[in-house]
Amino acid sequence: MPTIDATGLTKRYGDVLAVNDVSFQVEPGEIYALLGLNGAGKTTLIRMLLGMIAPTGGSVSVLGAAVSLGERSAWATTGYLVEAPAAYPELTVRENLEVVRRLRRLPGSADEVIDRLALTPYADRRARALSMGNLQRLALAKALIHRPDLLVLDEPVNGLDPAGVVEIRTLLGGLASEHGTTVFLSSHLLAEVARLATRVGIIHQGRLIQELDAGGLDERVRRRLTVATGDDAKAREVLEAGGYNPGPGLILTEERAIARPDEVATLLVHADVPPIKLIVEEEDLESYFLRMVGAGNA
Amino acid sequence: MREALWAELLKVRRSRLPWLTALAFTIVAVVCGLFMFILQDPPRARALGLLGGKAQLSGASADWPGFLGLLAQAVGVGGFLVFGMTAIWLFGREFSDHTAKDLLALPTSRTAIVGAKFIIAAGWALVLAVQVVMLGLLVGALLGLPGWSAPTALSGIGRILVTAALTALLTAPLSLAASVGRGYLAAVGAMFVVVFCAQVIAALGFGAYFPWSVPGLYAGIAGPDQDPPGAPGFLLVLATSTAGILATAIWWRRADHNR
Repeated sequence: MPTIDATGLTKRYGDVLAVNDVSFQVEPGEIYALLGLNGAGKTTLIRMLLGMIAPTGGSVSVLGAAVSLGERSAWATTGYLVEAPAAYPELTVRENLEVVRRLRRLPGSADEVIDRLALTPYADRRARALSMGNLQRLALAKALIHRPDLLVLDEPVNGLDPAGVVEIRTLLGGLASEHGTTVFLSSHLLAEVARLATRVGIIHQGRLIQELDAGGLDERVRRRLTVATGDDAKAREVLEAGGYNPGPGLILTEERAIARPDEVATLLVHADVPPIKLIVEEEDLESYFLRMVGAGNA
Repeated sequence: MREALWAELLKVRRSRLPWLTALAFTIVAVVCGLFMFILQDPPRARALGLLGGKAQLSGASADWPGFLGLLAQAVGVGGFLVFGMTAIWLFGREFSDHTAKDLLALPTSRTAIVGAKFIIAAGWALVLAVQVVMLGLLVGALLGLPGWSAPTALSGIGRILVTAALTALLTAPLSLAASVGRGYLAAVGAMFVVVFCAQVIAALGFGAYFPWSVPGLYAGIAGPDQDPPGAPGFLLVLATSTAGILATAIWWRRADHNR
């Protein structure tokens, strides 16, 4: 049984179609990342998963329970962080977490999650005095306090410093691999997503335009072989005679050139125009993403 | 519900709201006492600079029935602002602090959370009403007001408490305004519009048919010549309050929470 099963999810606000016929499934233990530009529909989709917004069309079930009015069975084992982290400013970190612990009807205290999120030095500090990074940690602690089976996180590493990003990545990876926690997250940090996610969905203008495995993402990015020599005009002739089709600036995009740059080097050396630069360049994830959603000039 | 009550109580305890509202009701009792002090002996008040040379005060007598009646009237008008701010803060702060979203997908239902907020609002209104009564008794005793008797005191205190209850009940729609308006501003605006309308409609003589005029009329703010609100007036207050509570609970349960 999928942890999240969305079928034809649609949300319309007047003439604006915020989410348009989105269907996907997230299996237990997966880390599913939703990528999209601002306004693509990520947060609306996440809010529909959590029953905060009623879909105009379609349906979604979470942990086997159909998300609907009054159906709360999934929320006992779901943790979430939606949009910017928030906390009651006049309460301390511990008190903010105690509020969540009580509302989640959990026994014990909040000490364990305070320790797990490295919030112990700030436990008795009022939330209004926290840095953005620690506020984000507090929001994550609220989502993790009950060791949920499903985590729904909107931009979970926003505001964290590089050490914090690594820490949260390790934490989420560990939750998925060791405890079987399913993670559904949205992020604009594509490199971060590539490191963490097992599956990626790209959403644009309310539509889920592509789903791919994290490995698949690696396969789909464009590669090219960039060559430079002491005499590029001669090198071009040599390459063309060798059956290659060099683009401007001696860039080769053929698969055989990218797979065997040594053969290109050998050809040039034998023609007495040895390469002074020979690099296989890979399209970065940002460029790939922008190419997919048709934005930018990638 | 118990968990939600615990959470709401903690939030209120840690806020400035209890202090500010208690201070407001302290000022109400002290100002009413000052009014009595001036009425007791206007030449003395003039000599002390508390009363302008040509000013004349009327509308209340400097005795226990007059003082307790004045307190009830002050609670009828000022109480709506104080209780209203409590209700608006309880609901509006969840949107201003962006914490509402953290209350929406929990094992504790949204209805329980809304119910806890209303219970806290009602409980705090009761505490404030008792505070104003106690302070009133203290101030009246310090002033040495004449006309004390047990029936007079019971009647006067009863009037203050019933006025406070009517006033507190009428703040329920402000909770809805703070929720639908997703913050303080719309609800504060609605509160001032309601206060203005209550005064105008009561002055026109139709106060018994406008719920927010009823507490003031009951407290005697329109003077002895005006009829007190009858059963329809009290039923209107109850209906307004019930509608406000139900609409707020339904809104939290059914609205699209996209902020």
